[in-house]
Amino acid sequence: MVAPMAAGAATPSIRLTVPGTLAHRGVAVRVVAEACRLVSGHGQPPPVEVDRGYDLRHPFDAAVVSAFAEIFNNIVIHAYGAGAAGSIELAIATSADDVVIDIHDHGAPFDLAAVPSPELDALPEGGMGIHIARTMLDDVAYAPGPPNRWRLSKALRPPEVTP
Amino acid sequence: MTTVDSDFFDVQRTDDGARIAVRRMLDINTAPQLAEQVDRLLAAKPREVVVDLAGLDVIDSSGVAVLVKLYKGVRNLGGKLTIVGARDQPLAIFKLLRMDKVFGI
Repeated sequence: MVAPMAAGAATPSIRLTVPGTLAHRGVAVRVVAEACRLVSGHGQPPPVEVDRGYDLRHPFDAAVVSAFAEIFNNIVIHAYGAGAAGSIELAIATSADDVVIDIHDHGAPFDLAAVPSPELDALPEGGMGIHIARTMLDDVAYAPGPPNRWRLSKALRPPEVTP
Repeated sequence: MTTVDSDFFDVQRTDDGARIAVRRMLDINTAPQLAEQVDRLLAAKPREVVVDLAGLDVIDSSGVAVLVKLYKGVRNLGGKLTIVGARDQPLAIFKLLRMDKVFGI
């Protein structure tokens, strides 16, 4: 089951609903990247003007966006698959030191616990997405639906704070 | 010398292989385009391939899969693949997947 809201996370303040297609992946990823910057950058703009949606120089931003992108891929490819794509609903809660992302989809459920860790020494060409998400975040929770409910959470730790 | 350009990569054929520069993002939306070029390149039996990731900001598991396919293909041909310029998020992903040492990063 999805765990209760992590301590320290604010009430979800950013909500977005996108069609569950790869064409809409970039929209969702950019929103998550900007939400991460509210945490890692304490709301300050980056020091130089860059293509901010892909400015993942801060390890916190890189970790959360990497994990989110893999889960988004998973929903589009496996939950919705060849069938008609439904929606993907995001609710993002940020605080000064963490982010919690709730993701709901209405596709086919699956067993997250049954997903094996990849044999990295064998140089796999697939099956790495869930491993990336689990490793990059503090917690990846999933409850089958409908709707299927994901909760991704990560805290900003002192070593990750940019001087 | 043959050159293939896209918004996200270019493939420059050399006498004994190729130099591939990847830009911005290599993910589930862009990786299939590069995979097509990888298939064509491997068919030419390259001996030396250099992949420059200095311009790459974001990679996902689909992008990693294409690079692994290229690495295995070149290795199976007895050739050598070198990845240069990896930084930030892509470098973090390679380290997480323990591919930084495989790729000689």
